[in-house]
Amino acid sequence: MPTLDIEKIKKEVVDSQLWRSVFRGGVWKDTPRDRAGHIIGNVWLHLHPVKVRPRALEWLYTWGMGGISFALYLILTLTGVALMFYYRPTIGLAYRDIKDLEFAVTLGMFLRNAHRWAAQAMVVAVIAHMVRVFLTGAYKKPREFNWGIGVLLLTLTLFLSFTGYLLPWDQLAIWAVTVGTNMAGATPVLGNEGPLGSLVGMRINNDVRFTLLGGTMVGENTLLRFYVMHCVAVPLVVGILLILHFWRIRKDSFSAAPYVANEEKVDVWPHLVKREYIAAAATVLFIMVWSILQNAPLEAIANPNVTTNPSKAPWYFVGLQELLVYFDPWIAGVVMPGLIIVGLIAIPYIDTNPKGVGYYAWKERPFANTLFMLGVFMWFALIYIGYALRGPNYAWYWPWEDWLMPKAAPPPTWSVFGPHGVAAYSMLLGIPLMGAVAAAWMLLPKLIQKELDGKKTMGAFLGAVALVAAVGMALGKMGPIEGAFLLFFTGASFYYGFVLPQRHIRALDWPRYLVTMVLVISTMSVLLKMCARLAFNIKYVLTIPSISMNF
Amino acid sequence: MSYRKAFIASNALMLAAFVWAFAKDFNAEWKPYQKKYYQMAADEMDKQAAAEKDGKKAAELKAAARKMRRSPLEVKQIISVDLGRYDRCVTCHVGMDEYTNTTLKNTFTEHPYKAHPKVDTALIKAHPFNKFGCTSCHSGQGLATTVDGAHGWIKHWEKPMLKGVTIQGSCVKCHDNFESIKGAEVAAQGKKLFNQHGCQGCHAINGKGGVISVELGDISDKPFERIAGYNFKRVRIDGKELPDEHHNSHWNIQNWIRAHLVNDPAEVTPNDPFAKLNAEPIPPSGMPDFTKEISKDEADAIVAYLSGMTKEEVIPYRYHVTAPPAKEPALTGAAHGKFVYQKYGCQGCHGLDAKQGRRRFNALADGQKEYDEKMPEAEQFAQMMLGAEPTLPKLMGTYTHEELVRKIENGVSAADAKKWSPKGPMPMVYMPAWKGKISKAELDDLATWLLSIGVKDDSGF
Repeated sequence: MPTLDIEKIKKEVVDSQLWRSVFRGGVWKDTPRDRAGHIIGNVWLHLHPVKVRPRALEWLYTWGMGGISFALYLILTLTGVALMFYYRPTIGLAYRDIKDLEFAVTLGMFLRNAHRWAAQAMVVAVIAHMVRVFLTGAYKKPREFNWGIGVLLLTLTLFLSFTGYLLPWDQLAIWAVTVGTNMAGATPVLGNEGPLGSLVGMRINNDVRFTLLGGTMVGENTLLRFYVMHCVAVPLVVGILLILHFWRIRKDSFSAAPYVANEEKVDVWPHLVKREYIAAAATVLFIMVWSILQNAPLEAIANPNVTTNPSKAPWYFVGLQELLVYFDPWIAGVVMPGLIIVGLIAIPYIDTNPKGVGYYAWKERPFANTLFMLGVFMWFALIYIGYALRGPNYAWYWPWEDWLMPKAAPPPTWSVFGPHGVAAYSMLLGIPLMGAVAAAWMLLPKLIQKELDGKKTMGAFLGAVALVAAVGMALGKMGPIEGAFLLFFTGASFYYGFVLPQRHIRALDWPRYLVTMVLVISTMSVLLKMCARLAFNIKYVLTIPSISMNF
Repeated sequence: MSYRKAFIASNALMLAAFVWAFAKDFNAEWKPYQKKYYQMAADEMDKQAAAEKDGKKAAELKAAARKMRRSPLEVKQIISVDLGRYDRCVTCHVGMDEYTNTTLKNTFTEHPYKAHPKVDTALIKAHPFNKFGCTSCHSGQGLATTVDGAHGWIKHWEKPMLKGVTIQGSCVKCHDNFESIKGAEVAAQGKKLFNQHGCQGCHAINGKGGVISVELGDISDKPFERIAGYNFKRVRIDGKELPDEHHNSHWNIQNWIRAHLVNDPAEVTPNDPFAKLNAEPIPPSGMPDFTKEISKDEADAIVAYLSGMTKEEVIPYRYHVTAPPAKEPALTGAAHGKFVYQKYGCQGCHGLDAKQGRRRFNALADGQKEYDEKMPEAEQFAQMMLGAEPTLPKLMGTYTHEELVRKIENGVSAADAKKWSPKGPMPMVYMPAWKGKISKAELDDLATWLLSIGVKDDSGF
């Protein structure tokens, strides 16, 4: 009886002309040469190096978030292409096609859910990836450029998600996009509602918002534009930047973790590849189960005549929408996001701290970590407020309050310095005063050479604020809640915006110092303005209506 | 766990998840209904075959039964190109699918298996399914293939299926002559009641009628978003709160209209008469309380009539049936004046036959106490609710014929209202100017009638 020699059959198959023409290399012997060949001989895998330092493999070090983001991008590409077979981007058909996906297409609802949830998950994963890279200081030399590419990829991820938001053509879509694109209309110079816009001839039908919408309101052209941007234009740009991002990761040496003496590198195949596979598989599984259990939202068909109340931007932009309560649209919708993007890209160039490259180093990088995490926390806190605590008419509703209960109209707001402020035309007083405060805040931390005693300085500042609050309460101008607000927000702003910079970055050279302070003070201005608006109904601290400059 | 185990487990789990997703999709809600219909129809044919004496016919029936039993499960739909309907209702209601059930008749008594109960009537003969689809008359979500989805009992579907007699509103959409056609009697009664109680005095329909309140020509398209913030918590139908478990199966425009007829509208829309939420006080709904005049069935009739008021649906012109305007009775003098009073809906404010003026919130009227700032709010509210439109016969003694004609022609501006509480809201309802709307001859007769019913002034002046 002839025995089945598996090894022999294997060898014959692998050595056959057919096999060898497809796969390079012969029978797998698991030698270092084979492992290297696996990476080099494969077009997909050879973006990896052949060997990698063991530090780069630890889950607790990388969180796997970069790989998971890319896995989600692949899921989105696959499900997106599948959805394109069923979807026609015209206002007569788009909504019906989504209904067809839900009711008549085999696995249509599952596909749509997977696409929707993967998009939301990707936004979270990319932000988590950025936080991880920041905390391990992995953006520092020589990775500054790649960090910048990463920031652009984050922006494009948000933009991709935003353009996809319109496609179902329901009430949720059209009003979220209306909120989002109206902010573009407030761009300084380029938007018709932005400062200086009308000066250079911007009208509602030729400004940047018009370009985005293909009209003066969200309509047929907008749907087509967003469809093309969502399915073709932006994914192309993302693809190009992704290749650049991956290539630079490899060229800048895989993992920024510091070298250890006699460190021995390990083979990427199988050590890295198996980890990547598990992360991707877990991601796919997570999206699948989520898509089975929960359907993507779909509201009534888009109706430009019926505004939903409240109308909210997609959740990742609701934080910026919440800023609209505190700032004019050109600040909340253009300057702030612009500062966030530019500021993030600038971080590697202004952070000269040589310590903490490639490992978690809270103690060695107290200033960078604290301020960055404060920014991330504020971004999500504003999203929470805008998403969960804002009800009809954008009034403040606590989670336990019913949205059907009407709220009293908000008390009238006022401006501190302006034609109707504390004294008529006090903006003439306000401009130099605000300028002086800003200049002092900008310069003092560096000009005070000796390190201030944190406890004493904070004690003195809080004492002064408490005094102001006490006087205010005695005069009946504020209650204990307003007093607590004042103490908390000014205290936090003073600590993070003055005491910390004074302690940690006063030794920076002037250009880097000034850029850092601009970013720090902008962040603190959000806190201070929130306090002013929520506790004291102050609309503007300084308003100069003649040139629509309001702060 | 080693990576080898994790690799195997993750692959197995992904496969399982895919099978789960596919199974969920495969076990669609509509399939058991269709399957059961095939079975029931085949059983019926088998029964007929057993009873059949002719062997050839019996064999044919048996073959047909076998074929029916083996019919593929599929999404069935009626496409009505003209009306833009894509109705998948027949996926479950197979008895109404003319491809499966060629006679469109069967003996089943239960939904969704039974045939259309009116399939033999002239109504269905004139409205074949393949031309009109289902939702043209019944409303609901034709594209859906789930029970709640298709009947429109889901959030964000604003046209749920019409219930009971309200379906007669669908006749009104195309038939201008609906008052004279068979099957639309309730809607016709609704229109009669609408005009009888003077609704047209405030609400215009397609431009005909008063301008005091909203135009009702497209009321059934009213977006839920605009219905008091989609708040039905204060609506009572048959004295009960509406359940919202099916959401718009109860929270819909039909019940919103009904709520204004079987409740006091001031309770449905109380607004803010003491300026608690707003800077200025806002009076409750200005619509009078009709609960004592209009019965529950009458309210249903008015709802049926108004359910046909849509502009959103694009109906091709050739689907419309026009009708000549109704002839007016040949009357003269005071009798004609009384007819004119009803024709323009004066009774909407001044009461049936001008006997008693209706409510006008916070207007100064007879029978109110003197305004007192210290009065508790509940009592103030009760006094404001006593505000009323003029009871015309009581006023007639102070007018000459010409003065009365001029008064009706020019109306009374809303700003001229005398308020009971000076801090309270402006009364909402006012006397519009009728010049150009009522012809001179009609106006003369109206004044003649009004003066004839005036209370004689016996005070000696």
